[in-house]
Amino acid sequence: MTSFQRWAFCLTVPAALLTLCLYVLPILQVLALSFTEPTFGLGNYVALFQNAAIGRVVRTTVFVSAVTTVLTIVMSYAVAFALVHMPPATRRVALFMVMVPFWISVLVRAFAWITILRRNGVLNSALVGSGAVSQPLELVYNQFGVVVGMVHYMMPFAIMLLYANLSEIDLRIIQAARSLGARPVTIFFRVWLPLSMPGLAIAGLFIVIFSLGFLVTPAILGAGRVLMVAEYISVQISSTLRWGVATALSTMLLLVVGILIALAMRSPALRAAFEGGRK
Amino acid sequence: MTAMAGLGIAVAFKPGPASAEASEIVVCNWGGAALEAFQKAYGEPFKAKSGMEVVIDGAGPATGAIRAMVDSKNVTWDATDGGMVDAVVLGKGGFVEPIDYSIVDKSLVGEGLAAEFGICNYTYSNVLAYDAKKVGATAPSSWNDFFDLEKFPGKRTMCKWIQGQLEAVLLADGVKPEEMYPLDVDRAFKKLEPLLPQLIFWESGAQSQQLFRDGEVVMGNIWHTRANLLRKENPDYTWTWNQNLMFASAWSVPKGNPAGKKVFDFINSSLDPESQVTLLRLMGNGPSNPKALALMTDEDKAVYSLAPENAKTGLPISAQYYADNEAELQNKFLDFISR
Repeated sequence: MTSFQRWAFCLTVPAALLTLCLYVLPILQVLALSFTEPTFGLGNYVALFQNAAIGRVVRTTVFVSAVTTVLTIVMSYAVAFALVHMPPATRRVALFMVMVPFWISVLVRAFAWITILRRNGVLNSALVGSGAVSQPLELVYNQFGVVVGMVHYMMPFAIMLLYANLSEIDLRIIQAARSLGARPVTIFFRVWLPLSMPGLAIAGLFIVIFSLGFLVTPAILGAGRVLMVAEYISVQISSTLRWGVATALSTMLLLVVGILIALAMRSPALRAAFEGGRK
Repeated sequence: MTAMAGLGIAVAFKPGPASAEASEIVVCNWGGAALEAFQKAYGEPFKAKSGMEVVIDGAGPATGAIRAMVDSKNVTWDATDGGMVDAVVLGKGGFVEPIDYSIVDKSLVGEGLAAEFGICNYTYSNVLAYDAKKVGATAPSSWNDFFDLEKFPGKRTMCKWIQGQLEAVLLADGVKPEEMYPLDVDRAFKKLEPLLPQLIFWESGAQSQQLFRDGEVVMGNIWHTRANLLRKENPDYTWTWNQNLMFASAWSVPKGNPAGKKVFDFINSSLDPESQVTLLRLMGNGPSNPKALALMTDEDKAVYSLAPENAKTGLPISAQYYADNEAELQNKFLDFISR
């Protein structure tokens, strides 16, 4: 380390201390409840694995998160790919459109989806009115509605991450592929896709981690029919007072996310993503 | 996780005495229209009597929030507006002060409405509310009709929070009111299972109203106070008092509240029949003081759970049963409805 590097490193110390004292320690204090409440020991963790209901909550969470991640990645990739190929003026407008949902509260967005998807909502009225369906479709208060809301919430993040990655790809490589006689489909699968792996990996990881902890969207769009881990924890904290179970489940969630990140960091694609820009 | 972080901050930082001056009483309720209504019904009369300001905080006194406050010795609320069930649960956990009946006059409230850790501030009911436009010529008149999809096709709404849900199901299944407790949970689930595809579960009063306004449901098990607000908007929305499920709400005092004993003067003042009728007219929350009945017009009685003609088919919800079983039952119910 040069002295300049040391000095630069010292700049991060205040923020690190603040985080440690005001965030990490208090959270550890709360999570410690999982070993002491209601009695001392690992009882809460044993209960987690024996309780069929918690098993179902975890399965729902994993399933909904997985579907959300796949759909978000596919659709966001399409948008990011289009963004890269737009003329700059159009791109500015398109990026603005992507950013708008960012500034709207998650609560408002969930209620907006209810307005669109409910039985007499915008979408069903249009479908029934045009004769496309005879009965309104069940689009909300179920897993479908929850996934729609979650995908909508995650897409701006994914688009930005993928766009950052795609816009770094050197277009001369694409031209080289074309001049060597590759067809558009081949170019996409043999050039674009491998080069965008770092972006896909980091966007995927980001969405999975986010999705596992979703609270507001599943609660509102699922209306009791889709119970996910975060809501289960929140019920145990604020109404049933089972803080031991709640903190044990939170600790498990934290561990799973930690393990996911650790595993992901072993993959070359992600390492490349975090070292992106250092050409 | 923000809830957890909030708790953590509270645990990490133990400020000195809470910021509320002993010259004011801080009341925590569930917000919305109740902010202004509580101020008018309880706050203003108390200020006129004692000179003390009443501050209403609409944050919602969930049992978890009260416990977090008391555990972290950072109590900012003097009186909390929770259910009688919460009062018993919090009392058992040691998170609330016993009501000081040397200051609070027990005789002001009706039979069974004064408990060790809570005293009833108002009553309300879960009722069968319906959209008259959608149910055809004969209106639903019992929980039995709630399950009759042939006579009344369409979606229904019930509450995600367990109190007063299974009672309605069991009444429909023919359980006699006097044999209601302990609840036969398996029987209730069996009866409810076929209806699940037709159900939307509400979690806040505002949401229960919205489901009716949007035309999403033809009937529902909702608070009569919300049914009353709906009827004021549009007379097509109405309810039946038949088989209503009667709840007592209660004041509790978190342990180590900032205003100390003075809070009991406020609680005593809130039991005044005039104050209680004011709240009834603003919100539909029913008086706990039987003397209030003498001050009521027929219009007032029509929205009062404990008016004799409304109470006669009502089922009083057992606070003791829920205090012993709610946590277990709530989790079972959430698991059951999300399958």
